[in-house]
Amino acid sequence: MIKNLYRTVKNLFQRPSTKIGLGVLVMGGFIAGAIAWLGFNTALHATSKEEFCLSCHSMHDNLLPELQKTVHWSNRTGVRTRCSDCHVPHNFTDKIARKMQASREVWGELIGTIGTREKFQEHRIVLARREWKRLSANGSRECRVCHDYKDMDFNVMRPASQVAMRRAAERDESCISCHKGIAHQLPDMKGAHNPAFDTLVSAASGQNIEAGGEYFAILPRDLFTDPQMTQKIGLLEVGAKVKMLETQGNMQRVELDLWRKNKGYGRVWYSQFGLNITSAILEKTVSRDDNLVKVLEAQEDLLTGLEWQRVKAEVWMQAESLLASPEPIWSIARSSYSSSCSTCHRQPQEAHFDANTWPGLFGGMVGFTSMDEDTAKVVLKYLQNHSSDFSETAHGNDATKGAVQTARP
Amino acid sequence: MTYSRRNFLKGIAILSGSALVAPSLLISRAAQAQSGAAHMSDDIKTWKVAGSHFGAIRAKVVGDRVVEVQPMEYDQHPTEMIKGIPGLIYSSSRVRYPMVRLDWYKNRHHSDTSQRGDNRFVRVGWDEAIDLFYEELERVQKEYGPWALHTAGVGWRSVGQMHSCGNHMVRAIGMHGRSVGTIGDYSTGAGQVILPYVLGSTEVYSQGTSWEVILAESKVIVFWANDPIKNLQVGWNTETHESYAYFAQLKKKVASGDIQVICLDPVKSKTQNYLECEHQYVNPMTDVVLMLAMAHTLVIENLYDKKFLETYALGFDRFLPYLQGRSEDNIEKTPEWAESICGVPAEHIRELARLMAANRTQLIFGWAVQRQQHGEQPYWMGAVLAALLGQIGLPGGGISFSHHYSSVGVSSSGAAMPGAFPLNLDPGRKPKHDNDNYQGYSTVIPIARAIDALLEPGKEIDFNGTKVKLPPYKMGIFTGHNQWHRHQQRNRMKHAYHKLETVVAIDYNWTATCRFADIVLPACTPFERNDIDAYGTYSNRGVLAMHKLIDPLFNSKPDFEIFSALCRRFHREEEYTRGMNEMEWIEYLYNECVAENVQKNIAMPSFAEFWKKGYHLFPEGKPWVRHADFRDDAEVNAVGTPSGFIEIFSRKIERYGYADCKGHPIWMEKIERSHGGPGSDRYPLWLQSVHPDKRLHSQLCESEALRSTYTIQGREPVFMSPQDAKDRGVSHGDLVRVFNDRGQLLAGAHVSDNFPPGVVRIEEGAWYGPTGPEIGALDTYGDPNTLTLDIGTSSLAQGPSANTCLVELEKYVGTAPVVTAFGGPTEVDPNGNQVKANA
Repeated sequence: MIKNLYRTVKNLFQRPSTKIGLGVLVMGGFIAGAIAWLGFNTALHATSKEEFCLSCHSMHDNLLPELQKTVHWSNRTGVRTRCSDCHVPHNFTDKIARKMQASREVWGELIGTIGTREKFQEHRIVLARREWKRLSANGSRECRVCHDYKDMDFNVMRPASQVAMRRAAERDESCISCHKGIAHQLPDMKGAHNPAFDTLVSAASGQNIEAGGEYFAILPRDLFTDPQMTQKIGLLEVGAKVKMLETQGNMQRVELDLWRKNKGYGRVWYSQFGLNITSAILEKTVSRDDNLVKVLEAQEDLLTGLEWQRVKAEVWMQAESLLASPEPIWSIARSSYSSSCSTCHRQPQEAHFDANTWPGLFGGMVGFTSMDEDTAKVVLKYLQNHSSDFSETAHGNDATKGAVQTARP
Repeated sequence: MTYSRRNFLKGIAILSGSALVAPSLLISRAAQAQSGAAHMSDDIKTWKVAGSHFGAIRAKVVGDRVVEVQPMEYDQHPTEMIKGIPGLIYSSSRVRYPMVRLDWYKNRHHSDTSQRGDNRFVRVGWDEAIDLFYEELERVQKEYGPWALHTAGVGWRSVGQMHSCGNHMVRAIGMHGRSVGTIGDYSTGAGQVILPYVLGSTEVYSQGTSWEVILAESKVIVFWANDPIKNLQVGWNTETHESYAYFAQLKKKVASGDIQVICLDPVKSKTQNYLECEHQYVNPMTDVVLMLAMAHTLVIENLYDKKFLETYALGFDRFLPYLQGRSEDNIEKTPEWAESICGVPAEHIRELARLMAANRTQLIFGWAVQRQQHGEQPYWMGAVLAALLGQIGLPGGGISFSHHYSSVGVSSSGAAMPGAFPLNLDPGRKPKHDNDNYQGYSTVIPIARAIDALLEPGKEIDFNGTKVKLPPYKMGIFTGHNQWHRHQQRNRMKHAYHKLETVVAIDYNWTATCRFADIVLPACTPFERNDIDAYGTYSNRGVLAMHKLIDPLFNSKPDFEIFSALCRRFHREEEYTRGMNEMEWIEYLYNECVAENVQKNIAMPSFAEFWKKGYHLFPEGKPWVRHADFRDDAEVNAVGTPSGFIEIFSRKIERYGYADCKGHPIWMEKIERSHGGPGSDRYPLWLQSVHPDKRLHSQLCESEALRSTYTIQGREPVFMSPQDAKDRGVSHGDLVRVFNDRGQLLAGAHVSDNFPPGVVRIEEGAWYGPTGPEIGALDTYGDPNTLTLDIGTSSLAQGPSANTCLVELEKYVGTAPVVTAFGGPTEVDPNGNQVKANA
């Protein structure tokens, strides 16, 4: 059966025609091709028009009203961007590639993945990430048709902008790495509400991982006993350090080498002896399990009288969650700290307090800021990791430098 | 719906009538004239919206004049303080023009500083004033360096996120050069330092268990040295007064016997009178003694929660010997021992302890007991008592240090609130004088030690585990705050101010800080500029528009313009303003707030819509229990102490080796104490200087109509018991002289049954009005800080000790000097001749 079909098709293409002249055939083929091309091109053009984009209601109901509020829609000079200016690549090959991708969005509209406002909002993160990834990869080429570093006069910018833009230009930074949400509302980031964290996610996906190396978690990550993720045994916290053992597909086996207080379940693990900087939280069911947890040494913390144990465990976690340096994480935290904590008072210098004092002070004040829970956690970790315990200048004459200056009443 | 003129007048009449009938902040306005309120909100041109620490208001403006102030329609429990707002704007004390102290005008920083306080000032133009300010900054940075400039900590700046005056000062001065700043504050100096060691958080400014939970679960509530009915009238951001609805419910539950409320206080407070609840007297400054004896009872009678201590606390074993009399003073802390000091009968102490152990008990502490010598101890011991009771983290149980403040206990809506004009330099920017050489002096000093720095230059003091070297600064800048109200011991301050070369004060009314300054710049009031504020400090109830009601009076200006002009002198105005004007900033802050709320899925209207309506409210939040997460899982939700557990004994504090703050709470005798304590033979009366009932600290004292509702013979009242009055031949309404070795003041005698013998009260914030610049001069109005003592609470917190103060008083005979506190400066020409008014 299949063989017959194969032969028929093969004959149709390979055997010379016996009835129609070659010229007619070639000519007919050419005309048909030309018409198809014309149609394709028309379609290509039509589908790049704003009317087409807005003809489906996901776009019209969700994105149009947001865009209309931005400077890219309405401004004093009357220069307006269309959907395609940003979202359709301007050269042919990339354009075709993008069109192929876009068919997914049409499909989503048709089957209703993004049919309602709620569903659209929920799915928005997926759509946004796709565009961010594309723009990150091409250096925000579409933006730079109009806004290119080489044409910018930094001197007429506001001083704060000058600082930021000069630095970005030096590194040829992609526009999207800072200007997410410039034309549309930002998606609900789930687990990473602070849009700044998204840059970490893309950085982690490009991080080169080697067995034996030390890495830092960019997001809280679940920990498992096995690569199949059958048993969740805890949570790795942001900024926690792990040692890489092996990678299997999308999973990585890492070693935790941390400290805990020998009181209760001993399930909270800290980065250093005597310092309450949480790195991992284990489930109650496994935290005292000798098969998983190896106790290497014990030491009394004289400041509290508690016994601390150095503990080790090998666990599995999802890949693309680690960076070789914690600096990018701290840099996000630093900027969040200096802006959020100076609304009411001068923010204290990081090294003014020690790692175990920061949680109490931070906990007492964080309620006045608009930090989401994840940002607050990262900022506290940042403060602890840059506290007087890690600073050479602290506890000198200037120990009060930059302390909380004008607290409340 | 349309309004006739008749209806309009009726609505207004009902509203103003209700405000008159109900000084009555606790009478619900729910039933009142909705039509009037609706009318006000429709009529944006004459009834504008504004915010204040005393609540949101609608102000009627006719002919660029505020003619009437009413509470905003959302506020169901307004305070009569808002009636003082017109008097604040149109005060005789307004700073009208830039003014320079006469001798400073002639001799600049070589002036005769002992003339400070004679109140003779020369009027100058804005350009000249800003030039002088700038030249002084340049001189001090070049001649001395950053250690010589003091930018004082701002406390209760006027509300409004854009014009927040401290931010303007810190940013502008910071762009020019570095300076000496302050840490801590005058309200909770000891509390905010000790509690992180014990409960793992500052607690004093933390959200507390929701009132609906307390009302449903608590069986016993103890207000310990706490007067929330008085203090909840004001809030850090625009106050909503939402707490009062819960107090109305509590009053009913007290009456029905569902909840037993005890006000533990030497004085019968406003709260106790309102709730008609029990009053438990205790001798002033002996709360620790009472608590130790209660703890002793809990231990002896085996009523304490051993399991709680085992799971959640550390160090009880090192505290127990002290209770048992086997360490430190070797005195067993029995109720009988306590009775002789604190004045509470021993059997009563036992009953109190048993009552708390047997019932779900919520302890709610005020801030007064930590504003005294060793102020760390009562808070620490309160936390230990709560740990022994074992109810921390239970609904309606445990301990709070904040329910009297800014509607703490009203659940938060969870919405983001607007940010503020930036306090910091923009990222990557450096000051003009990029010099961080403080010559070994500390860059930041504990705020209550700011006067010590002038009197004891270079002295090294202990502070919270570190050493602070006090810088003898030469120039001070004060904006929107009144050091000559909040700091203790006026005559000591006079000494110290002789050493200052230049003092700049920026304010809208002529406070005593202006009187003792050299350059005074007139800021406008918050009612003379546009702004945006958070509505509800803890409830995050909404965002409030603050419409400019009238143009700035006289030559006053917003701080934003004053500091823009200063930055113009060193060509950094645009960096300072970021090229945005007032309304652009407000819209920017609003839109940033919208963006943050979008992420929380909370919708907000456009800026234009918001501004027209005047406010945007967020929905009610969910009830919440403080420390419940810690109780649920003490390992994962550890508190912020060194160990992560409640620390009854702090090894960390013990290591500091301080004699006046050791490893666990201790009863220490005070330098002076009434009721048989040290010094009470010479000065038998304890002076408490509580937060005022009809002011916010020193704000509104200059509002004449409001002031006249409480003054006696034009002076601040001194409250006293009938017994003390009788013993001194004083009657209610008499003028009295209150004095001790530190100073003297005139006040009006207010005799009241609320006060026990040996206790007198002058509310802090009464404006200082000395008869002259000389040290020891009589204060003509009655500022209690003329008499208070300027010492730190201990080596740990170095907070103010205002409530450690003994005085005597006598009937004042003879001609009383006129009150000099109000009415602004004496304007003179450069030759010292007085300039006639309207000249």
